[in-house]
Amino acid sequence: MASIQNKKRHQTPRTGGRLPPGLGLLLPTLLPFGLLVMAVILPGFMFESDQTASTIGLGPAAWPEAILRAMAVFCVLWIARDVWVLGAAGRQPTLSFPVEDDHYHFGKAIVGLLLIIAYGWSLPLFGFAVTTTIFIGIWCLFGGLRNLMVVVPVAVIGTIALLWLFMGLALMPLPRGQGIFDNFSIWLLRATGIY
Amino acid sequence: MAALDLLGGGFLAAFQFWYFMTIVTGLLVGVVAGALPGISFVNAMAMALPFTYVMEPTQSMLFLGGIYVGGVFGGSISAILINVPGTPASLPATWDGYPMTKRGEAKRALTIAVTASAVGGLVSALVLTFLSAPFASFALKFSQPEFFAATLLGLVSVIAIAKDQPVITMVSLLLGIAVGTVGVDPLYGQARFSFGVPEMESGVRFVVVMIGLFAIGEVVDLLATDRDLRPKKTGGKAIGAGFRDILNVKGAIARGTGIGCLIGMIPGAGATPGAVIAYGIEKQVSKRGKEFGTGVEEGLAAPESAKNATTGAAMVPLLTLGIPGSAATAIMLAAMMLHGVSPGPLLFIMDPSMVYTIFAAMIIANVLMIFAGIGVAQLFSTLMRTPPAILAAFIIVLSVVGAFGVRNNIFDVYVCLAFGVLGWGMKRVGFPSAPLVLGVILGPLAERYFLTSMANAKQDWTVFFTRPISATILGLALLFILWSLVPSLRGALRRRH
Amino acid sequence: MKVFGKMAVGAALMTSAMTISGAALAQGYPDRPVELIVTFGPGGGADLMGRTMAQLMEGPLGVSIPVSNVGGASGNAGLTQLRTNPADGYTMGTLISLTVASWASGLGDNKPEDFEVIAVVQSSPSFLFVPASGDHQTAEALFAFAQENPGAITVATSGYGTQDDVTLKLLANAGIEMENVPFQAPAERYASPIGGHTSAIYEEPGDVAQFIQAGQLTPVVVFSAERHPEFPDVPTSAELGIDISGLDNYRSIAVAAGTPDDVVEKLAQAVATATASDEWQAFCTKTYSCITPVTGEAAQAMVSDFRDLIAAQLAN
Repeated sequence: MASIQNKKRHQTPRTGGRLPPGLGLLLPTLLPFGLLVMAVILPGFMFESDQTASTIGLGPAAWPEAILRAMAVFCVLWIARDVWVLGAAGRQPTLSFPVEDDHYHFGKAIVGLLLIIAYGWSLPLFGFAVTTTIFIGIWCLFGGLRNLMVVVPVAVIGTIALLWLFMGLALMPLPRGQGIFDNFSIWLLRATGIY
Repeated sequence: MAALDLLGGGFLAAFQFWYFMTIVTGLLVGVVAGALPGISFVNAMAMALPFTYVMEPTQSMLFLGGIYVGGVFGGSISAILINVPGTPASLPATWDGYPMTKRGEAKRALTIAVTASAVGGLVSALVLTFLSAPFASFALKFSQPEFFAATLLGLVSVIAIAKDQPVITMVSLLLGIAVGTVGVDPLYGQARFSFGVPEMESGVRFVVVMIGLFAIGEVVDLLATDRDLRPKKTGGKAIGAGFRDILNVKGAIARGTGIGCLIGMIPGAGATPGAVIAYGIEKQVSKRGKEFGTGVEEGLAAPESAKNATTGAAMVPLLTLGIPGSAATAIMLAAMMLHGVSPGPLLFIMDPSMVYTIFAAMIIANVLMIFAGIGVAQLFSTLMRTPPAILAAFIIVLSVVGAFGVRNNIFDVYVCLAFGVLGWGMKRVGFPSAPLVLGVILGPLAERYFLTSMANAKQDWTVFFTRPISATILGLALLFILWSLVPSLRGALRRRH
Repeated sequence: MKVFGKMAVGAALMTSAMTISGAALAQGYPDRPVELIVTFGPGGGADLMGRTMAQLMEGPLGVSIPVSNVGGASGNAGLTQLRTNPADGYTMGTLISLTVASWASGLGDNKPEDFEVIAVVQSSPSFLFVPASGDHQTAEALFAFAQENPGAITVATSGYGTQDDVTLKLLANAGIEMENVPFQAPAERYASPIGGHTSAIYEEPGDVAQFIQAGQLTPVVVFSAERHPEFPDVPTSAELGIDISGLDNYRSIAVAAGTPDDVVEKLAQAVATATASDEWQAFCTKTYSCITPVTGEAAQAMVSDFRDLIAAQLAN
């Protein structure tokens, strides 16, 4: 719900978890250049080589090209403003980093993102049931919940409840996994009465 | 007064025990599914479709109608409580609803949201009941140029709502529209930006983008800031919303409802553009417009009433013409067709009791929604007391399931995760993500309306300006841009001096 | 304490679930649910066919048949999933003429050989319909006007590079030039002639049945070798001097190539039982699409011939 920002406890400087100041100025200035390059070169990659764009009417390329061109124009405007701004001292670039209410742990965020990616990537390999149980378990441990008497039941019962809800009730074909994991998933689905 | 007699009969039928229970069940399913991050109400309705096989036609419509009404509101619960919109239409609720929660006024925000939604929905249901016929012929006057103009109005309202620089907002919006062009184009059946990956030909769905940008980014931030989701204890006054609070925003609710009813009838548009346009207009009209985005009641009430006001209006073309205007009403059409019932003008002649039972049910559902909404919101507030780690883990799993469920496709999960990483990065450098999502939602609509309009006018672009309704809407859009640029232009001039 | 309370509820749920599951086990194929992939979103013609078929096949197969909508890329997204799932008969899919036509214009990487067509269960020729409020209420009047005013008649279709497009091109070759106005969303396509925004619509009658019955759309010509039994008064295009046929809209049930023969046989029997039922007959009558199911080699040939036909026409 509300973020508890106990100001007394967080006496650490606000910049604590943010990027170094040099990078903080560099990134927002480079971003419009990156987007501009993208907007300029992408139209060349619109179709695969074996395709020929239809020539009736405006054709399938007209709209995306117009949009990318407009995006390039706005990127140029953005860059122009930044150049003008950076020339004068004491002004901020157009894009500015958000000021965090709390201390921001970059390391923790990156590990969290990697965990989520690993979860998505392993879903089709090991199946929804196995992957989800492990993911919930690891995430809870990583998130500071160290009591296994809580973590294990939450992960197992939570997964079975989700299986029941989505594969049993809503009839969604969630991934069952490959090879023996497929067999295990089928066994589990039978054991829980879903199949 | 045949209509009133029929409506009376409709109410009698809808209050029969099993019908009534069906409405209540649908409503609760809708609110809960909508409130779950990742599971949108369209998802929930598609999942509910097999359950309607065993029901009779009227009952199946009551069930789906209940889910629709409840689901459109439900998304706001998670938007207000945890800054994750449960449904795309609840995007604006994160702009002023979540800041209220941060101030410790979650309960007040939820009460305002549910009341505004119910009022919007109720008015819309009454419009459906009494004005179906004139509205239907009005809807038929609209064609592709008008749809394009209306979609463009939705797109430009993003500039008005932007807290950031208009230039960056435009870049974000255009990036979103560009993302929306991935995959098979709407007219020629040719794949664009597929980069040789067959799955890319299916394109990128906006729900998947939204789940990635909002749910995943928010959860990672939750982890990285050690933030606690437990309700903040605040003293005295700011607990719930009183009658007074609602009265204070009655203007916003009225405007939102009007906008929602009009937008709802336009096929393809639906709840999300309705809510966004209402927010944009409210920001210009309201006295506190400049404070929007910091937890202003009007900024919450207007889009909330607008999005639920689209529910009844969207059913006007479905029931009167047999033409579904949105994904939700297309599922309702499927349910009716599977029972051998074809909606359209004949339905009013052949089975008026069914039609009026549906009308009555929509009215009842919107009234009951106040209780269902508050009840489920209470439940979710209680859920917030579970340790943040557990909550975060389940939000991720639900997001992944939701992304998968859009098309039962694992590739969509990968896309969702990619946008999760992107969204997190965008948040860190302060690049706005809301315009991008709206670009992905409205961009493909704008493209196909534009191309079909052009094809129908022999590639003559003046068609958008020679048709009166289209020209009027485009004029409005232009006014809107100028109006919203005034403050920043004035600011720039002042800085120069 | 709360956690243990939840555990108790969970355990109770599990035990009750296990007792139900015992009865669901069956001998041989199929012994678990068979998934049916509908290759388009909910609410369209393919979805209605898939859902009706799934309901009717549950009886003969003895297992539940959950339907999952996998839309995207003119149906190719769902077919790619069907092709890459194990070829064990536990995944079926809908394969329709629109998707086959999309292969001809280079979409997707699916080929007719990737699939084994169980049966083509629905087929219907397409018609040109005019709105009741339109200026030309017969095909002769419509065609005559189009001949004098090339491109003045606008026809709502499903897109360029489809059967719709091919038909209009063939008409144009015969001197009847009409403007193709593609609408991606079916609902908007149907609304446009009714609202007077286009002069005609190219569609199969099943998809616009309610508008025909309400008198809002009138069929004026059928693109088929013979007149349609449900519309005996509507002339064929051949009768009007332009022979266009073989471009019927059909819908079929398919599995991945390499599925064991006995499994295919079992599915074919289930489809046959389903199509013989009164429910199916009522469904296909209502959608003007009843045919004697085409199975085996003939069904397979129907798909590959259709792709070649469209490809040849588009190359012209």
